[in-house]
Amino acid sequence: MRALLTRGADAAFQGWTTVTGRTLARYQAAIVRIGVALTFGTFLLREWPHRRVLYGDLSPWSGDLSRQLLSTNHAFSVLAWSDAGWWFECVYVAAIAVSVLMLLGWRTRATSLVFMVLVLSLQNRAVLVGDGGDNVVHLMAIYLVFTRCGEVWSLDARAARLGTRRAGDPAGVAVWLLLGTALAFCQLTGFAKLGMLDLGLYTWGTFFWLCWLLAGLRGALTRRAPESEGSALLDALTALLHNAAMLVIAAEVCFIYATAGWYKIQGSLWQGGTALWYPLHLHYFEPWPALNNMLGTNSTLVTLITYGTVIAQVGFPFLVFNRRIKNLMLALMMTEHLAIAVVLGLPFFSLAMITADAVFLPTGFLVRVGQGVAKGVARVASTPVLRQTIMRAPRATEREQEAVSVIR
Amino acid sequence: MADEPDGATAYEPIPAPRTAPDEAGPADGRTNDAEATDTETTETTETEHDGTDEPEAGQERRWSLPSLLVLYAAVIAVAVAVVYHLGTVFLSIAPSNPISQHNATTVNAHVMPEFEQNWQLFAPNPLQQNIAVQARVQTLDPDGGRTESPWIDLTAQDVAAIRDNPFPSHVNQNLLRRAWDYYTAWHDQNEKSTGFGGPLSVEYLKRIGLQRIGRDWHGEPVIQIQFRSATTDVTGPTWTGAPATTAPSYRQLAWWPATDDDYRGLGVS
Repeated sequence: MRALLTRGADAAFQGWTTVTGRTLARYQAAIVRIGVALTFGTFLLREWPHRRVLYGDLSPWSGDLSRQLLSTNHAFSVLAWSDAGWWFECVYVAAIAVSVLMLLGWRTRATSLVFMVLVLSLQNRAVLVGDGGDNVVHLMAIYLVFTRCGEVWSLDARAARLGTRRAGDPAGVAVWLLLGTALAFCQLTGFAKLGMLDLGLYTWGTFFWLCWLLAGLRGALTRRAPESEGSALLDALTALLHNAAMLVIAAEVCFIYATAGWYKIQGSLWQGGTALWYPLHLHYFEPWPALNNMLGTNSTLVTLITYGTVIAQVGFPFLVFNRRIKNLMLALMMTEHLAIAVVLGLPFFSLAMITADAVFLPTGFLVRVGQGVAKGVARVASTPVLRQTIMRAPRATEREQEAVSVIR
Repeated sequence: MADEPDGATAYEPIPAPRTAPDEAGPADGRTNDAEATDTETTETTETEHDGTDEPEAGQERRWSLPSLLVLYAAVIAVAVAVVYHLGTVFLSIAPSNPISQHNATTVNAHVMPEFEQNWQLFAPNPLQQNIAVQARVQTLDPDGGRTESPWIDLTAQDVAAIRDNPFPSHVNQNLLRRAWDYYTAWHDQNEKSTGFGGPLSVEYLKRIGLQRIGRDWHGEPVIQIQFRSATTDVTGPTWTGAPATTAPSYRQLAWWPATDDDYRGLGVS
């Protein structure tokens, strides 16, 4: 009995040191960051010609309609503050720029917060033009704020490794001051409308200031007393928050598959094994009718994919806890999403879902992929043609000599 | 290394957890374990560890009592928050059940609007109909007469833009399709609004139609617009011998007046 208690206490202690002392799943956090930023950034670029119809001044969902909805559902959108064209263009361009920064992992702590603000702002401006992919990006953008998603595969990690951000980190301080000033400006001048930045127990205004103050405290401690207990405490709390957020992201992915599966089991067409036929013949999801016809005519294939989808979705939350089956499941899910991207014409939805799946990829695999990518980049960068174009100046003499030798 | 989770050696220098209040132990201990095992599956193969930028906060450190209390409080608070968040989100997306019915207000208070989600993708049954939204306009002639345009298939315009397009736009995939869904969700069989979204959905749908058709039709100003949906069942799988469906069924709305206000900001002249 006593031994059991001791063992229990030991296990609890080990869990305790793990969640407060270590940043778990850093590569998974990074891949989600990169995937979400890539999805949103490329989506914004693709919609560039239509941006004003979707979210801007040409939208049939006018600023007034949008504000009527936002004032009842209390969703957050900086685009509701002003209908001015310049404001919309600034927000849209900023969203693209911040997606790039998020992808590269520059000042990830602050950038992830701004990224979330921009994702919510654009999507909530016209929530009726979104689909499941937007929904995934929306959720992940919020969850990423609480993670340390820039510990690897980021400019932040690079700077930390090379020690290039020293001597007070003026850029970091500048970002911090700029964001604080912007927040204060929006609140004090009344630029923020519909009470979106009001202070209260559970409001965005309070949340943003809390983040700002904590970032300030963190910066001050890092500079003044990096070895102090306060600094270590803040670090442990941040690790705790990160680990909790990663758990929530993983659970969210399980929720997505579980509910998608649960509802399907209740459907007669999924039971009958013909469900796949119907989405393949909806005009809105049929960019390549010939391909859909080809897939649809084989009854065995339709049944297998129909049943396979239900089995995989219902089983996903349980099977992810078995490492070998998990990897097989992930491969299947990602393949299915790649197929959906093409067949149903939903590339951004698919990219978002593959990103969400990636949170379950094993660290060893991610590390190897990362090394492979790094090597590939290095190889491409060192090919003669690229070297000459990138480093034109030092090679000029070389090329002159080559030219001379050719002439001779 | 003390970094390894099995670091039995790490126990000795830390008297803290032993002196900690016991009631906190089991509760958050269980949560910790759950979190640890969950992430362990993805973390075990981690080999390279750049421990340089990572102070081993919870491991080697001898926390002072105030810090320890803060940590305990934080672990409990975060555990409660995670359980609360996941619980309410689950109830919001699961099929309606006694628990979610009893706690609807609590669930909505947390989940809406930013955590709202719906994963009934093609479920319980996939949509088995192609719904085409069509519109026609009435124009005012100079002599005071009125002319009606033929029905214009707005959905067909979307479908044409999606065809052979590897990256279809939300403008074609979602804008009109979801606007029609929004309208039908807020109107009954007699086209009467059922609440808050009713007037919004009418104005939205109207503006989508007016934007597509423009201010004028054959040189005459548009004064009214009318919508209808043409619903065609998807013919069942060929191997089942399901009869081909041809004739669509129509749902026709009333004529809606088109004013300058409705055209505001649509960019059509």
